[in-house]
Amino acid sequence: MLNFILKRILSLIPVLFVVSVVVFLLVHITPGDPASVMLGPEASPQEVAKLQEELGLNRPILEQYVTWVGDIFKGDLGTSLFMKQPVLTAFLEHLGPTFSLAIMAQLFAIVLAIPLGVLSAKFRGSLLDQTFMGVSLVGISVPSFLLGLFLILLFGVELRWLPVAGYKPVAAGLDVHIRYLILPAIALGSMQAALIARMTRSSMLDVLSANFIKTARAKGVKEFIITIKHSLRNAFIPILTIIGQTFGTLVAGAAVVETVFNIPGIGQLIINSVERRDFEVIQGVVLLIAVSYVTINLVIDLLYGIVDPRLRVGKR
Amino acid sequence: MKKANWLFLMIVGVLFVLAACSSDDSAGGKGAKSNKDYSELQIAYNAQPPTLDPLMTTAVATRDVARNIYESLVTLDKDSKVVPMLAESVEESEDGKVITFKLRQGVKFHNDDDVTAEDVVASMHRWMTTTGLGKTYFADATFEKVDDTTVRLVTPKRLFIALHLLADPSQIAIITTEEANASTTAEGLTEFIGTGPYKFVEWKNDQYIHLEKFNDYVAVDSPASGLSGKKEAHYENIYFNIVSDASTRFAGIQTGEYQVANAIPFDNVAQLKTSDTVKTSINHNGFNAVVFNKRAGLFAKKEARQAVNAALDQEAILRAAFSSPEFYELEHNLMIKDQTDWYTDAGSDQYNQKDTEKAKALLKQAGYNGEEIVILSTRDYEDHYNAAVVVQQQLESLGMKVKLDIYDWPTVQQRRTDEKAYDIFITGFPTEPVPNKYVFLDSKGEWAGWTNSPKIDDLLGKIAGAATQEEATGYYSDLMVEVYDYVPIIKFGNKTTVTAYDASVEGDDFLQGIILWNLK
Repeated sequence: MLNFILKRILSLIPVLFVVSVVVFLLVHITPGDPASVMLGPEASPQEVAKLQEELGLNRPILEQYVTWVGDIFKGDLGTSLFMKQPVLTAFLEHLGPTFSLAIMAQLFAIVLAIPLGVLSAKFRGSLLDQTFMGVSLVGISVPSFLLGLFLILLFGVELRWLPVAGYKPVAAGLDVHIRYLILPAIALGSMQAALIARMTRSSMLDVLSANFIKTARAKGVKEFIITIKHSLRNAFIPILTIIGQTFGTLVAGAAVVETVFNIPGIGQLIINSVERRDFEVIQGVVLLIAVSYVTINLVIDLLYGIVDPRLRVGKR
Repeated sequence: MKKANWLFLMIVGVLFVLAACSSDDSAGGKGAKSNKDYSELQIAYNAQPPTLDPLMTTAVATRDVARNIYESLVTLDKDSKVVPMLAESVEESEDGKVITFKLRQGVKFHNDDDVTAEDVVASMHRWMTTTGLGKTYFADATFEKVDDTTVRLVTPKRLFIALHLLADPSQIAIITTEEANASTTAEGLTEFIGTGPYKFVEWKNDQYIHLEKFNDYVAVDSPASGLSGKKEAHYENIYFNIVSDASTRFAGIQTGEYQVANAIPFDNVAQLKTSDTVKTSINHNGFNAVVFNKRAGLFAKKEARQAVNAALDQEAILRAAFSSPEFYELEHNLMIKDQTDWYTDAGSDQYNQKDTEKAKALLKQAGYNGEEIVILSTRDYEDHYNAAVVVQQQLESLGMKVKLDIYDWPTVQQRRTDEKAYDIFITGFPTEPVPNKYVFLDSKGEWAGWTNSPKIDDLLGKIAGAATQEEATGYYSDLMVEVYDYVPIIKFGNKTTVTAYDASVEGDDFLQGIILWNLK
């Protein structure tokens, strides 16, 4: 097991190297520079050139890359040109809202999707099944920004039940914190809910038709126990996979929902940094997201072994 | 039965979670106040400023936030006339080379220190050596202390526009402490200490900027007018919430989440007008224009630029960009009518001509032979993009081959500095206090588009050195005629911006940006 973890960690090095090169090149090849954005639209070319020099933006690209990578090995991801704070600090500041939102969205998705998927499988072909799967198809098809705007209009503007935008940290009170996240979590989690529901249904259908389920029924085991203990547990591997994959998407892909609901998360940080051409932030944050992705995948691999002992690495 | 129970419990559970989350009616209810609550004013603002040091940028967001924190020696009233602010009086010598400022007594900085002549001299020295304006017009000038309550500006020759430039709201000549001036870095001030009605408290990146009422603020004893006169902070705290999405600002002002929302999309205004809880304010906000690449390509020839000017139907462009005449104004002049000192009819006969035949003749004179013309624009500002599309259509109707190059705004900012990348770009300009400040006029600035007209330079010099306003206005009339002959840009017309306020908020005002200090 230890060997497996070490091998996986070592295999991250080339992945992260490629990511760093690609991100750095993309950022620096894209037209537009932070100095012009910072100085404003009426700045003269001389003022822009002076600030570029002060910020070190006119150095050769290879030199800039080597400096950046060298600093990373010293634990320094750089300093935001625009926000004047270390990239890691900016990332951590914005990670809280994104993480809260992703957890809420994932909870919403799991709480809604697994029961729906199980019910659909149990009552396969019924009106209930068709309705749930129809709704999940809508969930996959409707873009999150559209659903977000609809939720804002209905629950924010019309019914006034929930705030339309913003973010309150847990320090402002857990209830306030959750209230501000409900609508964005639904907007963000709907697609994941639909995916998880469909995966749960399909995986449950496979298991429900297995011989051991028939045996359990023949032995008179209660239907509830068969569904939850015998079927759902055995059907859980693909469900867990999709939950893991979608959680990564939630963390890194909440940009649109964060913008619509004005949540200062990682997605909004990246969008704002691209608009400002805040090179250091874009590079650093994308690298950190890449690290997060591979780490989540590693954790999911390890979780396979916990859920299904047959898959434990090193055991035959 | 057991299956039914199980299903029932699950559905009840899901409904319970949803209901528990949505039962409280306090959400978004800040606007629904029975008694007026002055504890905080929540503003939905569309952009985060790059800095709160106005000397380091011309960004509008910096201007709008910083004006609450800082003040200058002189400022602009509602007619854009220069009036004292931190100065008690201003006196110009007969030869116009010395301007003496008597400082208002008892004015304090946010750190409780008194404003001294030393602070003013240090601040003005930094402004003159840091900003583009300062370096252009005050390179050989000095700012010096006369006595503890008097300072003076000495210029080698008469500079008629000096006070206008000192009052310019876009790069406001802020007065801060001598220590703050001494501790600046390449990125500007490290602490934000001013004398304004609000003091800086906190800046949470991408979330909000928090300002707090400055209780020791010493107001001028004259009625409020534009950026001048009495400033009375009613709200204890102001939060500039950074809300980049327009639909979120729109929804937030409707629910009372915010009491002020800027840059409301024009298409949403009709809906807000039917609201009992929200009111809107439409204010002049500069103008958009075609800027020619005068260094390379077809439009290096004056006749080609004149041809475009002869062809354009400005009303069609403005309608496409701003949707309704309520949001634009056909106007040829670079200065607006409220700027009564400057306004002139000169050049109006060359505006909005819609004369296709004249345009074709001028194009022929310019030697146009079907080469492709590139218009550079962005969808980050829909008004720029919509205008670019109509300009393209109108030029194509002349028989020109026109291509739109659409990028995000930072890319446009960079590409417009490359003379080989475009022929025309579309951009917006703020209203300036003096014509000399328009960056597209002065050849020395080498601003994108590269105007190079000795006549325009000469007239700008004459305006700068004029002895009286009448003399300056006369030169300005000549300048407008020359602008329509040389055609460095083509102005479409005046544009507006819409700010929405909670209906309970009174005292809203606007002069080159929202004015918050007298809101109640």
